[in-house]
Amino acid sequence: MNRRAFLRTTGAALSALALAGLPVKAQSLEGEDLANLEKALKETLGKGFKDLTPSNLVKLTMPAIAESGANVPAEVEVNLPAGQVKAIHLFADKNPTPRLVSFMPMKAMPYYATRVRLAETSAIRAVVETTDGKLLLASASTRVTVGGCG
Amino acid sequence: MPIRTIVRLTPAKPKAGEEVRLQAVAQHPNEPGTRRDERGNLIPANYINLVEVYFEGEKVAEARPGPSTSANPLYGFKFKAEKPGTFTVKLKDTSGDTGEGTVKLELA
Repeated sequence: MNRRAFLRTTGAALSALALAGLPVKAQSLEGEDLANLEKALKETLGKGFKDLTPSNLVKLTMPAIAESGANVPAEVEVNLPAGQVKAIHLFADKNPTPRLVSFMPMKAMPYYATRVRLAETSAIRAVVETTDGKLLLASASTRVTVGGCG
Repeated sequence: MPIRTIVRLTPAKPKAGEEVRLQAVAQHPNEPGTRRDERGNLIPANYINLVEVYFEGEKVAEARPGPSTSANPLYGFKFKAEKPGTFTVKLKDTSGDTGEGTVKLELA
């Protein structure tokens, strides 16, 4: 076996390993305080909480910088027909209680706006439960100058 | 003490079939239970954990906010304006206090 062939085969094997190894841990979530977030996700969504699909149907609007974490506007809109959305949940990775809100649009359109408290600079997640059991995810990030929980 | 609640619609008089935004603002401290007063004592949690929207007596939306909601919170929803009627927003906090606000939907 010459050097070129050796590199080709080991390279392919390594990348296959990397691809197989990744989904177990990293899935679709990236960030620092995932243990905190995953606990809240599990409490809210139950067993299947790891099956999150990033989707551009979910639009989460957060300010890039918030001067005060005590009052941060958050807006989420789902680009799906009204009947197909079972619930919309919002989470902030680094809040003491990561779950911000759960919204059940029964006859309403899949849209929710509110103002939230953020403890510190953190990633915000919108998780949408559809009626056919899928979990769609959108993330945003807000820099917080002064925290709103302490 | 009842929670003061103000509800409004934008646009105020939508056409039939148009989207209408319903916004409810409540006067409430929404204490998350993590804040301390000037003596360092924890302020007990007291926040709104149930928001229900009714249209003509029928429940049309429900939100369950957690403790991380801002003081004097705002809740925004969107509906399709189909027929005239009355929206009622009912709030409940963790201490059992309730609030209620109504707004009439009139079609242009």
